[in-house]
Amino acid sequence: MMLTGAFSIWKRDMLVLRRSLFSELVAVVASPLTFYLAFGFGLRGYIADVEGVPYTVFMAPGLITMTAVTAAFDESAWSMWFHRKVQRTIEAYRVTPITVYDIVIGKIISGFTQGALKGVAVAAAIFLLTGVRFNPAHLAGYLSFIVLGSMVFSCAGTVCGTLLDKPETIGKVQAVVIMPLIFLSGVFFPVSSYPEALRSAVMVIPTTALFEGSRRALLAGALDGGLIAILAATALVAFAATVAIFNRKMAE
Amino acid sequence: MAALSLHGLTKRYGSLTAVDSFSLEVARGTIFALLGPNGAGKTTIIRILTTLLRPDAGTAHVEGFDVRQQGQEVRRLIGVVPQDNNLDRYLTARENLVMQARLHGMGQAETGRRVDELLELVGLSGRRNDFPDTFSGGMQRRLVVARALVHRPRVLFLDEPTTGLDPQSRRAVWEYIESLKDSMTIFLTTHYMDEADTLCDRIVIMDHGKALVDGSAAQLKERMAHAHRYELQFRANADRYEAILAGFSFVRSLQRTGDLFRLSLAGEEYLKPLMDAIGTDDIRKVCLREPTLEDVFIELTGREVRE
Ligand SMILES: Nc1ncnc2c1ncn2[C@@H]1O[C@H](COP(=O)(O)OP(=O)(O)OP(=O)(O)O)[C@@H](O)[C@H]1O
Ligand SMILES: [Mg+2]
Repeated sequence: MMLTGAFSIWKRDMLVLRRSLFSELVAVVASPLTFYLAFGFGLRGYIADVEGVPYTVFMAPGLITMTAVTAAFDESAWSMWFHRKVQRTIEAYRVTPITVYDIVIGKIISGFTQGALKGVAVAAAIFLLTGVRFNPAHLAGYLSFIVLGSMVFSCAGTVCGTLLDKPETIGKVQAVVIMPLIFLSGVFFPVSSYPEALRSAVMVIPTTALFEGSRRALLAGALDGGLIAILAATALVAFAATVAIFNRKMAE
Repeated sequence: MAALSLHGLTKRYGSLTAVDSFSLEVARGTIFALLGPNGAGKTTIIRILTTLLRPDAGTAHVEGFDVRQQGQEVRRLIGVVPQDNNLDRYLTARENLVMQARLHGMGQAETGRRVDELLELVGLSGRRNDFPDTFSGGMQRRLVVARALVHRPRVLFLDEPTTGLDPQSRRAVWEYIESLKDSMTIFLTTHYMDEADTLCDRIVIMDHGKALVDGSAAQLKERMAHAHRYELQFRANADRYEAILAGFSFVRSLQRTGDLFRLSLAGEEYLKPLMDAIGTDDIRKVCLREPTLEDVFIELTGREVRE
């Protein structure tokens, strides 16, 4: 019986996603592509090469990563909130033999899957519509960052959807915490832009590890074990914390 | 062994005691009704029995399993129709039932058969591939009932299963419930007294978290036999008679609708003086009124509307 409940919930979420897959993918590609065109091409004349690569190439990995992790966060937060507060399907699940662990793990994995799928969609769009090309050998390293990052953000979203009752509050968390965290972690600029004194501190923030590490992995094929370790530890802690928080909330 | 057994069950919300040291035993195969005004604590008891809520004190067992310690075993055996529909509106009617079967670990072949049979039973076969959003309230309710039956539960909890249904759908739900009676124990709450009266073997009326009476509908009505309730109808001069009736100290309660009066007397012996006083000139009808379950309910829980 181990986790078959989680699998059933994940399958349900994938069935629902499949029904609106095309429109979801179009919607998710629109915003990173806009950033790409506005900054990459609009500002082309003003920005020189960054860390030895053209700016359009430099920002592409960050945009893909950003799409994946925000999608993971959004899906997890809204889905948990909707199933808990609006539709109350969580309660329907809770009177069947599955455990609260099944429910929270199923939901985390659904958010994670959406993040990964949408990241791939954006990567494909950038690849097809622009001249940017990556070395396929670098993909495995890059994917390990995306997987861990989506996991972290899916957990964060699940916690928000579990604890916050009002939709406005979830919107505020997105605007005040998630967006700044992502933007300041180097989607559009390298960590070397931070003053020397701050740099090592900034690198320890898991989101910096994610964006900086994933970019280095994709562009240079450098797999930084230290950054992976920071991210993996964060994912592990986030997962355990999320399961515990959900469990406690349900016992209220 | 009892299907349900509750001992000293207590649940508090802050300073409010929603369920107050509640005890109950329900034998297997019973159709049991829990009645009570809004806020009496009915839903809270169902939520505790279905493992959604932890009691603050006391114990509750479902088919011998402790709801606190053996939640998973309890959940294997129960079907739940909550007070508010909680269908998945992104899944079709059929998918909602299939999901329930999956969560109960049912095999594929068995699921298909069972789900189709239930859709037929609740009259939704023709709408199996539609989303619940497109259903009327009654159709959604029937789907929730079907979902609660997918895994053939041994104890079925129904929290106001027929609220908001038209008379046809209510009767249809009653019929399913009656047809299930031999295979399971049924625990329901309702605000329809006629429903409890015709459907249930045993009734408990509760208020403020405590049980007030317990028995069959006939036994509960028997309690009211002392009330000596009569109906009087006048051909004319109803206002004058109202003044007369209100003047007697032995008329304990008086209700008027047009020219029809409902009253209760302090004792049988007062009927004669009453009739002597009002004479027979304007009387159209006099009769003894059999107490209804609603009379018992109002007598026990008072007339005031709950906040
Ligand atoms: N989550 C909660 N927080 C605080 N108080 C609550 C909560 N849930 C229920 N209550 C209170 O507990 C009491 C019992 O509520 P309950 O829902 O069990 O009543 P009920 O008998 O089902 O009423 P109804 O007939 O209206 O459905 C009420 O006074 C209610 O206000
Ligand atoms: Mg209720």
